Amino acid sequence: MSDQGHNKTYEPEITVFTCIYCGYMSADTAGALRLQYPPNVKLIRLPCTGKTDVGYILRAFEMGADGVYVVGCPIGNCHHVRGNERGQARVERAKKLLDEIGLGGERLNIFFVSGGMGATFAHHAEEMTERIRMLGPNPLK
Amino acid sequence: MLGRKSAEVVGIDDPNGVAGRVMVVGGGVGGMRAAIDLAEAGLQVILVETTPSLGGRVAQLGFMFPTHDCVLCRGTSDHGYGCTRPAISPAFMDYNLHPNIELLTNTQIIGAKGQAGDFTIQLRQHPRYVKVERCTNCGLCAVACPVFLPSGFQMGMSQRKAIYKSAPRAIPDAYVVDKGPYCEDCGICVDVCPTQAIDLNEEYLNRTVQVGAVILAIGYSLTDVTSYEEYGWGRHLNVVHSMEYERLASRSGPTEGIVVRPSDGQMPHRIAWLQCVGSRDQKYPYCSSICCMYAAKEAMLAKQRIPDVECRIFMMDERAFNKEFNAYYERSKETFGVEYVRCRVSSVKEDPETKDLVLRYMRPNSPEQIVEERFNMVVLSVGTQPPAQAKATAEALGIELNPYGFCETDKFAPLETSQPGVYVCGTFQSPKEIAETIIDAAGAAGDVMRLMRADLGKKESSREYPFISDIHFGEERDVSGDPPQVGVFVCDCHPSIDSVVDTEALTRYAAKLPEVVHAARVGYACFDEGQAQIEEAIEHYQLNRLVIAGCSHRTHESLFQRTTRQAGLNPYLMEMVNIREHCAWVHSAHPQAATRKAKELLHGGIQRACAMMPIHKGSLNPARRALIIGGGVAGMTAALSIADSGYNVTLVEQSAELGGNLRHVYYVAEGQNPQRLLRDLVNRVRGHERITVLARSQMIEQTGSVGRFNSVVLTHPMEAGQAIDSSVEHAVTIVATGGEEWRGDVYLLGTNRQVITEVELEDHIAHRPEAIAEMTHVVMIQCVHAPDALDSSYQAARYCSRICCTNSMKNAIRIKLLNPSCQVTILYKNIITYGFREQYYTEARRRGVVFVRYDDTTQPLVQEVNGHLRISLQEPILKRTLTFEPDLLTLNMAIVPPQGTAELARILKVPLSSEGFFMEAHLKMRPMDFMEEGIFVAGMAHYPKFIEEAIAHAQATAGRAITILAKQPLYIGGSIAVVDQAKCVGCLTCTRTCPVGIPQIRPGQVGVGGIVGAAYIDPALCQGCGSCTGECPAKAIQLLNYTDEQILVQGLGAWAVVAD
Repeated sequence: MSDQGHNKTYEPEITVFTCIYCGYMSADTAGALRLQYPPNVKLIRLPCTGKTDVGYILRAFEMGADGVYVVGCPIGNCHHVRGNERGQARVERAKKLLDEIGLGGERLNIFFVSGGMGATFAHHAEEMTERIRMLGPNPLK
Repeated sequence: MLGRKSAEVVGIDDPNGVAGRVMVVGGGVGGMRAAIDLAEAGLQVILVETTPSLGGRVAQLGFMFPTHDCVLCRGTSDHGYGCTRPAISPAFMDYNLHPNIELLTNTQIIGAKGQAGDFTIQLRQHPRYVKVERCTNCGLCAVACPVFLPSGFQMGMSQRKAIYKSAPRAIPDAYVVDKGPYCEDCGICVDVCPTQAIDLNEEYLNRTVQVGAVILAIGYSLTDVTSYEEYGWGRHLNVVHSMEYERLASRSGPTEGIVVRPSDGQMPHRIAWLQCVGSRDQKYPYCSSICCMYAAKEAMLAKQRIPDVECRIFMMDERAFNKEFNAYYERSKETFGVEYVRCRVSSVKEDPETKDLVLRYMRPNSPEQIVEERFNMVVLSVGTQPPAQAKATAEALGIELNPYGFCETDKFAPLETSQPGVYVCGTFQSPKEIAETIIDAAGAAGDVMRLMRADLGKKESSREYPFISDIHFGEERDVSGDPPQVGVFVCDCHPSIDSVVDTEALTRYAAKLPEVVHAARVGYACFDEGQAQIEEAIEHYQLNRLVIAGCSHRTHESLFQRTTRQAGLNPYLMEMVNIREHCAWVHSAHPQAATRKAKELLHGGIQRACAMMPIHKGSLNPARRALIIGGGVAGMTAALSIADSGYNVTLVEQSAELGGNLRHVYYVAEGQNPQRLLRDLVNRVRGHERITVLARSQMIEQTGSVGRFNSVVLTHPMEAGQAIDSSVEHAVTIVATGGEEWRGDVYLLGTNRQVITEVELEDHIAHRPEAIAEMTHVVMIQCVHAPDALDSSYQAARYCSRICCTNSMKNAIRIKLLNPSCQVTILYKNIITYGFREQYYTEARRRGVVFVRYDDTTQPLVQEVNGHLRISLQEPILKRTLTFEPDLLTLNMAIVPPQGTAELARILKVPLSSEGFFMEAHLKMRPMDFMEEGIFVAGMAHYPKFIEEAIAHAQATAGRAITILAKQPLYIGGSIAVVDQAKCVGCLTCTRTCPVGIPQIRPGQVGVGGIVGAAYIDPALCQGCGSCTGECPAKAIQLLNYTDEQILVQGLGAWAVVAD
């Protein structure tokens, strides 16, 4: 990570896993409201954040993502009752693994956003892009 | 004018061919619920809504008590996908609208004639000025429109244009012109619309329709707060009413859920709620039933959002009378620190400097002391009024209204109006919460199904595919052995997509990928022209995989799945890539970056499409029989509804007699004769050719799943001897096992003959009125729980049994009628006479019944002193010990689940609530369903209930049951988890992970290395979330349509690969 903060041409690639309920819909709402956020974030649909697999997260980093985050329904509001809590537990587990292998758990996050919260979705996209920009490119690349 | 009610209408013939059609008036949660159930039962529905979109009042609520969720997406068992707020099911989304439902928004009833089975109804549809099918939601019209107006959806707290959408996800999903006097008719919107969807010269349409029945679900109005001038709403900026507060606290509200003061946008630090504004007063003498709970919710939401906020609720009684409500109320006090003060506030003044509000009130427990206190914000808990169109609707349909202006119904026919064939549900019947509205709605639908039994299932619909259809498609092309031949269609959606994303370059890029045999731009893929282009290309290029790069998967997937199937391909072979909401609309300042991102997303989508596999649902013909457990009022009502509709019923009753608790009810507050109802129900059940009654029987086993359950019922003989077991095959199960009066050693019950229970009192009044007439003083103690329920660790067990207060009023009034000089004293905690039952509380007080409050710290003491019964109580206001020596003490015992409830729950594999009653699928949205498909709950087995509530609940389960019984066939499965047993080690991880407890380790299944016992996931029950697949250590479970391969193949992090 020698070029951290110096490489002006560095554009982070960020993979976002969303559930098809609130997560996907908050992105839809951001779109409907024409809120602008960095094009660095790209969404992958999962049926529920309970489907988040530690393997998917690690694979995303292995394939070159500089950051990964998960967006699901607010706690207590999961369409599948507790899927988002499962997702959260797996994100925590993956963070530990990332810390252990030196990639850094701070490249990974999970957010709970209601379907109507377009501005919050856009805000997290902004925030994560900034954070990953600061952290520099994925050293595995 | 319509004819009057004559004989009971049980079923009708269909001479004119119109009886299969039903009109549902009102598109709120109640109307939507009724419409779906009717449609699923194979009837045709016309859903009429006066506003431009569905959702009603509930669409404006961000959170529901006591669950604090907004999960309208869980409103039905068909969990299709996507929050369909403000609708309650994917069955209403534009491209997945149930084929049996015709939706008429902006429409009102202007006249009606005819009778049950043959109504002719005149409708007027006001123009929308926007063609829904041509509107792509690009929003250019609203940007161009020069007229700003307050947003009604946001209660005036934000602005909209004259051409607008009420909410981003409004249904129908299109704009509408509010052509009030402010619209200047300038026509700018017409000029900018890229699809010529707007026509400002559109005229209203008159339409006459013939229907067999009508369900009224027209909701309620809010109390006009301006008539309560003393509270200053409209004059003081920081006095808001509860609906305004709901929008502030909602995540889809003007502040995305941040509670701020209207005057300065600052967070308030002290908020007061004033209860009963427009309820329980001289003008509106009834209780609005919902305000206590929503105020508790709103205060908790404030506590969650604003650190250190003080919340105080000024109330008369805390009416937490439904399932889990009391625990919720306790939580608001103990966990959140919400304060409750028992008094009415006399005035609200504003400090002109700070815009703070000064409340003047009498401090409770010290009547002399009038205090003034300062708050930053005041919320008025407004009550419910009859809906604005109540009178006009009543006149048009010839139905009677009650003295309060709500719909008049009979206690024992709670969903029937005075006009046969016209039914009512929800708050138009009386003030009520969402769960009860849903029960009513499903119940009214059940009533209609019984009326129209000859037409059930006639209007077929199919759930064979992920979308709902009415078409029988042609043969499906088998492409399983073929290499992927991908067709890519890039929608221009001009100008939404193509003004940002270079769709030409995107198409060229796709065409170069090796798997792609055809790539083309489409003008508007969702228009008929676009659909035709896609279908032709599938045929011409023999495509076997489809990728649509366009808009949201959430709104349009069902459309393109249908297109795919129509062209002969399995609908699961189509993938959508969202380059509109997730790309063009949010990156409009960076067209190059947006185009690059679109390519990356499209690349992933194409890879995923190549890995997609066809999915076929399983199907079965359901057994045409329902099994009902419990022969009380709920069980018998459900049995008659189902049997009258043409399906068989096995009714299992534990005791030797039918009737349940109804056998001990001799009169009701409203005046009807419950014993007549009992005789009528028992006679009809016993005489019905389709009902088999198994008395002295219990269910001991149930296997199978929805459509095909197999149960074993054990029947005990009349005399001594061997019990016989019989097996029953049935499609659905209804649990109606009731509740019972708790019995235990409290307050000398069972040791002193002057102490009896309320049920025994009713028996005395009915059978020995002369003895009661001789009494000089009767004391009643309310809320008598099991002693361990008073232990603080049993908070949840201290639930309100709901019916006791009204029962005490009824008995107190009876005693006063028999002997006006007899003193009646009621020791209570909260008087809970909700809805119109408030009138009996008022009457009891008018007749001189004395009410004395106690709480958990001042329990009454009951002793026997020198052979006399003595009750002493510390009175909190007078701060004195009161002593009574009555002739009779009656105890209002808690209603508890009957013995055997836990055992039955185990047999049925369904959960129990913290109170020990059966736990439904969702407290608000599915109060009659279990999470287990095909099993329903009715009556007191769910929670204590009045007779009319048990009847409505029973009819609701009957209606829901008929939607399954009428299916031919019933489809199961879809995108569900499947176990590869050869990899399963039987570790139980999946059984622990599943949020609904579906996976089982079955000894009959053989796992890895031949071990006995591997996981099995019932395709009829799996909800398809995939939680188990992410946890399974052996990767033995795959979720269809989201297999590991289908997800990993998208590249996940390999975004730069496709960069130019």
